[in-house]
Amino acid sequence: MHHLQHSGEVMSCKANGAVYPASTTVMTTVKKPKMEQIQADHELFLQAFEKPTQIYRFLRTRNLIAPIFLHRTLTFMTHRNTRTNAKRKTFKVDDMLLRVEKMKGEQESHSLSSHLQLTFTGFFHKDEKPSQNSENEQGSVSLEVLLVKVCHKKRKDVSCPVKQVPTGKKQVPLNPDCSKQTKPGSLPSLLVSSNEFEPSNSHMVKSYSLLFRVLRTGRRDMNGLVNGEANENIDVTEVPSRKKRSSTHREDGENTETFVAQMTVFDKNRRLQLLDGEYEVSMQGMEDCPVSKKRATWETILDGKRLPPFETFSQGPTLQFTLRWTGDASDKSTAPVAKPLATRNSDGSSPMESRPSALKSAPLAVKASVSTDIQMKKEQILCEPRQKLRIFYQFLYNNNTRQQTEARDDLHCPWCTLNCRKLYSLLKHLKQSHSRFIFNYVPHPKGARIDVSINECYDGSYVGNPQDIHSQPGFAFSRNGPVKRTAVTHVLVCRPKRTKPSLSEFLESEDGELEQQRTYVSGHNRLYFHSDSCMPLRPQEMDVDSEDERDPEWLREKTATQLEEFTDVNEGEKEVMKLWNLHVMKHGFIADNQMNQASMQFVEKCGAYIARRNLCRNFLLHLVSMHDFNLVSVATIDRAMSRLRRIQEELPDAGADDQKTGQPPMDVFMTCWNLYYG
Amino acid sequence: ETETAVDSEETVMHPYQHKGPVCWRRRVKSEYMRLRQLKRFRRADEVKSMFNSNRQRILERTDILNAEWKTRRIQPCVCVWSCLLQCTVDSGFSEFSKQVIPLKTLNAVASVPVMYSWSPLQQNFMVEDETVLHNIPYMGDEILDQDGTFIEELIKNYDGKVHGDRECGFINDEIFVELVGALTQYSDNDDEDDDEEEQEFKLEKMESLPYFPSLGPCPFKFLSPYTLLSDSSKKFPSDKIFEAISSMFPDKGSTEELREKYKELTEPQLPGALPPECTPNMDGPNARSVQREQSLHSFHTLFCRRCFKYDCFLHPFHATPNTYKRKNMENLVDSKPCGDECYMYLVKRSKTPSKRPVRRDHQQFRYIHTCASQTPYPVLCTHPHTNHCLLCNPEGNSRCQTPVKLKLTCDPQVVDWSGAEASLFRVLIGTYYDNYCAIARLIGTKTCRQVYEFRVKESSIIARAPAEDEDTPPRKKKRKHRYAMKIQLKKDGSSNHVYNYQPCDHPRQPCDSSCPCVTAQNFCEKFCQCSSECQNRFPGCRCKAQCNTKQCPCYLAVRECDPDLCLTCGAAEHWDSKNVSCKNCSIQRGAKKHLLLAPSDVAGWGIFIKEPVQKNEFISEYCGEIISQDEADRRGKVYDKYMCSFLFNLNNDFVVDATRKGNKIRFANHSVHPNCYAKVMMVNGDHRIGIFAKRTIQTGEELFFDYRYSQADALKYVGIERESEMP
Repeated sequence: MHHLQHSGEVMSCKANGAVYPASTTVMTTVKKPKMEQIQADHELFLQAFEKPTQIYRFLRTRNLIAPIFLHRTLTFMTHRNTRTNAKRKTFKVDDMLLRVEKMKGEQESHSLSSHLQLTFTGFFHKDEKPSQNSENEQGSVSLEVLLVKVCHKKRKDVSCPVKQVPTGKKQVPLNPDCSKQTKPGSLPSLLVSSNEFEPSNSHMVKSYSLLFRVLRTGRRDMNGLVNGEANENIDVTEVPSRKKRSSTHREDGENTETFVAQMTVFDKNRRLQLLDGEYEVSMQGMEDCPVSKKRATWETILDGKRLPPFETFSQGPTLQFTLRWTGDASDKSTAPVAKPLATRNSDGSSPMESRPSALKSAPLAVKASVSTDIQMKKEQILCEPRQKLRIFYQFLYNNNTRQQTEARDDLHCPWCTLNCRKLYSLLKHLKQSHSRFIFNYVPHPKGARIDVSINECYDGSYVGNPQDIHSQPGFAFSRNGPVKRTAVTHVLVCRPKRTKPSLSEFLESEDGELEQQRTYVSGHNRLYFHSDSCMPLRPQEMDVDSEDERDPEWLREKTATQLEEFTDVNEGEKEVMKLWNLHVMKHGFIADNQMNQASMQFVEKCGAYIARRNLCRNFLLHLVSMHDFNLVSVATIDRAMSRLRRIQEELPDAGADDQKTGQPPMDVFMTCWNLYYG
Repeated sequence: ETETAVDSEETVMHPYQHKGPVCWRRRVKSEYMRLRQLKRFRRADEVKSMFNSNRQRILERTDILNAEWKTRRIQPCVCVWSCLLQCTVDSGFSEFSKQVIPLKTLNAVASVPVMYSWSPLQQNFMVEDETVLHNIPYMGDEILDQDGTFIEELIKNYDGKVHGDRECGFINDEIFVELVGALTQYSDNDDEDDDEEEQEFKLEKMESLPYFPSLGPCPFKFLSPYTLLSDSSKKFPSDKIFEAISSMFPDKGSTEELREKYKELTEPQLPGALPPECTPNMDGPNARSVQREQSLHSFHTLFCRRCFKYDCFLHPFHATPNTYKRKNMENLVDSKPCGDECYMYLVKRSKTPSKRPVRRDHQQFRYIHTCASQTPYPVLCTHPHTNHCLLCNPEGNSRCQTPVKLKLTCDPQVVDWSGAEASLFRVLIGTYYDNYCAIARLIGTKTCRQVYEFRVKESSIIARAPAEDEDTPPRKKKRKHRYAMKIQLKKDGSSNHVYNYQPCDHPRQPCDSSCPCVTAQNFCEKFCQCSSECQNRFPGCRCKAQCNTKQCPCYLAVRECDPDLCLTCGAAEHWDSKNVSCKNCSIQRGAKKHLLLAPSDVAGWGIFIKEPVQKNEFISEYCGEIISQDEADRRGKVYDKYMCSFLFNLNNDFVVDATRKGNKIRFANHSVHPNCYAKVMMVNGDHRIGIFAKRTIQTGEELFFDYRYSQADALKYVGIERESEMP
């Protein structure tokens, strides 16, 4: 069974959903697989699945911290979106003003709100499952809440003076079963008077924060097996952590563990950080290495190991409570109301609230994580009746000759722990977001089997906007604040005809296999270059076909120089010919019957130049010649010449000086041309 | 060889030979070498200064770009994470502190494939055969090592001629003149000792020259002919020099030829002076009174009736209009007098026996029509049965008879006619005949009465003017020598070959088996000199649909619709709009799709389409240089070595080469599963290559077509999308 350890790590998504013991490999004939064989098999498995899994776990975290998109906006995840568009019908623009005004009023009155009410739902610790650890023995832990006031440094002070004001102690239920909705009144709650937050006495208070301290006494069994069903499979990851933490409960039996967490109420700019809402605070054991405030980042360090920030919610102990600002002792809320978090999209959709506080003290965030028991359960309660689906993931590797099976009881994505809630959504999500693997759906009497294999055709090349890479090298992926990344913005409205969602689309297809595996990206998924300079095409240049002019500059110059080479053509003729050639090249005339029009256009465009350069007779010769070729009519000659005469008369000074100067140099000529044609 | 010969002669030089031919040869050689070296130095200096000015331009441009960058608002990259990565400089001395700077990494930018420079164009460009190898291609030592004979064979293709070869006999006009000039000094010295007589004569002449040292510019006008004369007579070098040069460079011609050449090259060039064959500028001060053909000569000979341009890039031969006929007779004569002073009153008052009604002219012009083919331009003729030609000249030349009775009641006004006006009059009378009002209006400086009077006077003069060579006017010369275009139609009789179209011109001969169009199996086009009723002409289509099926005769004949023939399908409408009902005129209209260049998924660069296209839609024309088949063979050898070829067979006579000039479609790669196909179409008399969509193509797809249909051999040298790589 050793070789299965790793699948545990692979699947260490760690979700609540119970992980089932894996059915072993297909090597049925071997009675007692030798150690080496197991080792080799394990190596093969690792080779296949380790890298992509690591990548997807990294991406999951990144998407939680700084989401590129929200899952709820995807069509197959619409059930994650709790917002309805029902209000849109009755919406008026004035409503927005009203709402803002109301909010303003509330904020002003906020300072008057007299109490901060904390109602504790419970203290959750992974290791302690209520099912196993008896309810009667350890039903609660002792919680102490202190108000920490960090004051401004005075000259003599070495560091900021800190005052701790105890606000009360409560017994908080340990790992309560949240499927049972307890009455709010029965839960322990604390009141902190708003007077405490008023600036007072000698020290100017810089910031206020709440310090939660949980004291837990209780008997622990040493082997720490949590769950009757649990096996080595999942616990592999926990083994080292437990060993490390053993310092906290070194002695067997009765011992006391202390967990602390701190949350900022008002920051040093006196901005309120805690709005009304439900919170879940990740607690840390006192012995755990403290997070230095200087380097507070999104990273979480647990047991000396770096953990993705939200991992703490599934790993470490958490405290859940409801926070409310009340105007009086009664329950009337006056503080700005945040939506109850449970109804929100759980997956990283609320970083706005979580960011400031989380930055202050690392292992803390608004209850926004995925995969906490309560939340998941609540979701299930709220949204759909619990599906008793069992999903068997069958990992195929070594050219599909080997396989390992893993089963789960929920519809969470094993790589990003996203609760997909529906089988269709799960499959679609896997296919769309984890294209390094190939997923094939096989119906199963107990639920579904998903065959997972490595996508050999995976194209890991960049598929984002190609301009991003080039236009701001080094900036495109920087996450240090908003960066303007494209010069153009496209608003796309696309309502494609979608086929009705059906699980059959995930079945393994015989012929379309190639098509399925190919990463198919249509459209302009590459960086284009200018054909003349090989410089990258900037996005705002996409629509101009710049290098495809009919009369490129070199050709314009070429026709002029070529005419210039004639020795038996006089300068007047040359100049008219050049002008005409440029005119024809510019407009690309193709038909004889365009010539009348072309000649008139020529007069309009170049008439002034012809008059100023004193070329009228040569122009007339040109027209007569065109007439000799049967390309223009006599009427056109008449009209063109009379137009030219009129232009000549309108000229401010009938360029007498131009007559003297002979042939204009080529560059002057070209400039003139550019002047007339822009 | 020449060099050794000279050396040997030098060693055995006899004192007598001091002034003999051997001595002269030696002088020629040393002077020549000196001049060459001088030229090289000068050239090097030129290169240096060019380099410097180029450098300067780069710097200026850089400054502009830098200034632009400064105005941009760029967010500084404050990176918390990268604090971990630092660069430290430690001097090792305690007094200098350690310098630390955070390390910032930039994303790697992939390099782009190699691209040889090329010039963009949207229409084919005909170039002459290169008889000299312009550069010896370099493609890496290893390739040349593998095939050492390649360069040799290449040079052999050009008969051993390589551009810029510093062979001994190389001499151009400039060096020639300088050489003669330098050698003249020796001749002067020689003269002192040798030609006593000549010297005396010279001195005599010198003495006879008037010399006014203190005089200002005033007498210069008087002097100038003398000075010029004396200068030229004094400086014109002796025959010995030319003899010596001729013996040194036998390929440059005989002594006489060299002398003539020298004369021609050193003839004093007065400012504004023009070669004798050039008509002076009609708008200039030196305008002369010349014949009509002379005034219009440049315009007639340089105009390309097919491109509507002068000295076009595509057609080496331009038909002159002299044999063109008028399609429709225009109403040329104003029936009403143009004003109170109109010449018509004069004529009327003279009570001509028959006042010519305008309509009647029809028959008369028919006559003109027929006789026009013999004369270089439409001329006036009298109707043979109206014997009004009182001033008809006795020679009976039909050219300048006047149709009206030229008799004036009042005395002719005495007016000066400048050369330009007179020339212009002759030009216009060929177009407007007896519409003097219109002619006067166009001349601008004369009234119609004056024009009429001039006409009366002219009729005799013009008639007496000697008839210029009526058959073929001389072609225009270029200063720089251009090789005469060789167009040899290789007719090997295989019927499935397509030949280039050349407008036929066989007067008074119907287009039968002797007509070049018929033998080349081409239709006669509107550019042919045959009549529009010619049996070999393509009639065009009368489609009302899109002309994209074989129902359309144009489509069937692999021709684009001719906007002057197909008048119902829409090919002759909506010049400015892209929405033409006829889908068979895309190449001529240049209705190309927007293409985008990016590194190919297959090899090197590739071309990608911006918008999706339907099957059979036109994508782009494959443009390039039009070269002869021979030239293509020569160039192909080099391209094969480069493993990159842009050659595309156009027809039996020509090949399109997009290597040096082309458009973006040249980057399309080869595929055995292409999404495009190429089709050579006849477009208004020119064969052109259209690239069309073979299937529906989506946005951003790379374009491929099958080279095999166009160039069988080049296949192995290009990026190929192979079967397995097809999605």
